[in-house]
Amino acid sequence: MQPLTPKRLAWICGSLAAVLLIVVIVSLKVGAVPISVIDLVSSLGRVAIGRSAQLPSEYSLIVFEIRLPRILLGILVGAALSVAGAGFQALLRNPLADPYVLGVSSGAALGAIISLIVASRASFAMPLAAFAGALATIAGVYFLGRRGGQLDSHILLLAGIITASFLSALIMFLMTTLSGGELRGIAFWLMGDLTSTKTPVGLGWLFTVLLLAIGAIYTTAADLNLLLSGEQEAMHLGVDVPRVKLVVYVSASLLTGLAVSVSGAIGYVGLLVPHVMRLLFGSDHRLLIPTTALGGAITIVVADTLARTIVSPTELPVGAMTAMAGAPVFIYLLRRRLQ
Amino acid sequence: MALSPILFRGVFLLLARFELVVVFRQLAGFALLAALAAPAAVRAGAQATAPPANAATPAKTDVTDEVGRRVSIPVPVRRIVSLAPNLTETIYALGAQDRLVGVTDYCDYPPEAQQKARVGGAVNPNLEQIVALKPDLVLAQAFTLNRRETVDALERLGVAVYSANAHSVDGILDSTRHLAEVIGAVEQSTVLLKNLRTRLGELKRHLAGRPPKRVLFVVWSDPLVTVGRQTFIADALRLAGAESVVETEQDWPRLSLEEVVRLQPDFLVFASSHSKTVRTTVEDLSQRPGWRGLDAVRNRRIAVISDAINRPAPRLVEALEDLARQLHPDAFEEKSKNRKAKIENRKNAAASGESPIFSFLFSLFAFHRVAP
Repeated sequence: MQPLTPKRLAWICGSLAAVLLIVVIVSLKVGAVPISVIDLVSSLGRVAIGRSAQLPSEYSLIVFEIRLPRILLGILVGAALSVAGAGFQALLRNPLADPYVLGVSSGAALGAIISLIVASRASFAMPLAAFAGALATIAGVYFLGRRGGQLDSHILLLAGIITASFLSALIMFLMTTLSGGELRGIAFWLMGDLTSTKTPVGLGWLFTVLLLAIGAIYTTAADLNLLLSGEQEAMHLGVDVPRVKLVVYVSASLLTGLAVSVSGAIGYVGLLVPHVMRLLFGSDHRLLIPTTALGGAITIVVADTLARTIVSPTELPVGAMTAMAGAPVFIYLLRRRLQ
Repeated sequence: MALSPILFRGVFLLLARFELVVVFRQLAGFALLAALAAPAAVRAGAQATAPPANAATPAKTDVTDEVGRRVSIPVPVRRIVSLAPNLTETIYALGAQDRLVGVTDYCDYPPEAQQKARVGGAVNPNLEQIVALKPDLVLAQAFTLNRRETVDALERLGVAVYSANAHSVDGILDSTRHLAEVIGAVEQSTVLLKNLRTRLGELKRHLAGRPPKRVLFVVWSDPLVTVGRQTFIADALRLAGAESVVETEQDWPRLSLEEVVRLQPDFLVFASSHSKTVRTTVEDLSQRPGWRGLDAVRNRRIAVISDAINRPAPRLVEALEDLARQLHPDAFEEKSKNRKAKIENRKNAAASGESPIFSFLFSLFAFHRVAP
């Protein structure tokens, strides 16, 4: 494997960022309403030079008020879920770990639903409750997954799966017993939905939290590399294992809560993207964390663009797209590597 | 272990299936609010004299819709997008179809409505398609079919959205009236409503003094889902000389077959415009354990009516008359043949397209159906 130099890091991240930019521009162009490249470029250009008032209002409404917020939300959710997945996989030294498998997504969803029932007026309560739900779930799963004071990754995964189904059952229970009109919307949201142009708090805040949480995980990247060889070994090599665990668990829960509170439960991204990035660029976390964030963003934006265009004007849930499109790519990469 | 996400997803799909039957989940609070606030507000809005249309500053009128939202609506309304099959029907019934520029994938009645531009499903319509149609007014069925999120999103995009909401047959007539006032079709609505009220009055006269038949309205047979007390369907059943054997606060209760056997309804009521599909369903059910123990199945006391009963639109009255005739044939014996023939014709006209009840239920899952 090539050694990681700042140059290589910058080059790879730069290329991925360029791919993301291209994907965003394509996604801005395509949709139920055809917008020509010329119109798109001219309107982007006008906005860039601060003359957005001269835009034809219909195009600007569609491009900047409908497509762009959705793309930004996709970037946010994709990056958050993917990095959370990479964090869990590193800590648990298990490639199957992911916010979904561990029940963290369900915990976040349950928290969000309870906040909607208890305090539907307080919009900021939802991401906080989702975060609290995610954190409580990972703490519970972690506690259940211990055997003789040591973390057993198999038991932990089983505990996660059981917790996930238990929490899903609770969500079902709440949804069936409380038959308010609002809960109908929740059912849709639970299936993974990026269409809501309203976020609980401003997009700026969400991105700030996203960058802080990814940054926090990134500070532990070197330690995560050492953790791959085992907790005892990492401890002997001078890694402050409890601190690393705390930082990654809290940050990954925060990321999951963040993603679930704006888009519901979109699956497979946290599992798929870190794997693909590892196959492409190796398992050095100093490279893996940023590439996973960018790759997750690209994946969700592509998936959502397909979701809203292939049977246009009808829209598919983005979660179905991530599963349909992601799995074959993953199998292809896996088999190529085996050969 | 890798299966888990799939299982988890399965739970949500299950939820989705549960949602399938929750077509017209009604909120009692909203009903009350709408009943109290809407008529007064709409009247106030309609009276606010609109200044003559002016190219520079289009005239607007402020209206409170049926869920209590303030909506600023351009006058006159020239371009309408309907987000619900029942509202599309209402627009046609009001003769305002020329101004209807967009409908959902599930607006299948009248058949001409399918020729209009599509904006996707009712639950997840395509916002950019709606905006591109430049509507003066979007009509939503709040929030039993369309989601609050959709209405919120459109409002933020500066599109006027009027949310209709009805929980009874009277509510449907009132709602039709409000809609007519909002879009400026009051004359047509006066004629339409007079006709509907006369027919309902006639029905009431025919059924006077007859004890209601105890029926089970089958919304969905697998799993068995029926209607709760506060739905407009339950109200329609009452007007048709029937009462639901199930009286729950829940709007779309799931029912155990055991309970139905215990309650032994006089009639089973199925709704579909495709009587053949229903006949197959009924044949199938009568072979199954449980169902075949029902007196109503054994004695073939099964009423099949138009799927119009599932949609809170003016056409519901027709389905209701049909049901009353099937449940109380003796009450209508003196009816002239002429009238009967007319009903038959109308029924035949309605029986087009593939099983609208199912496709309408499926409208909640827009993504299950690929748009043509």
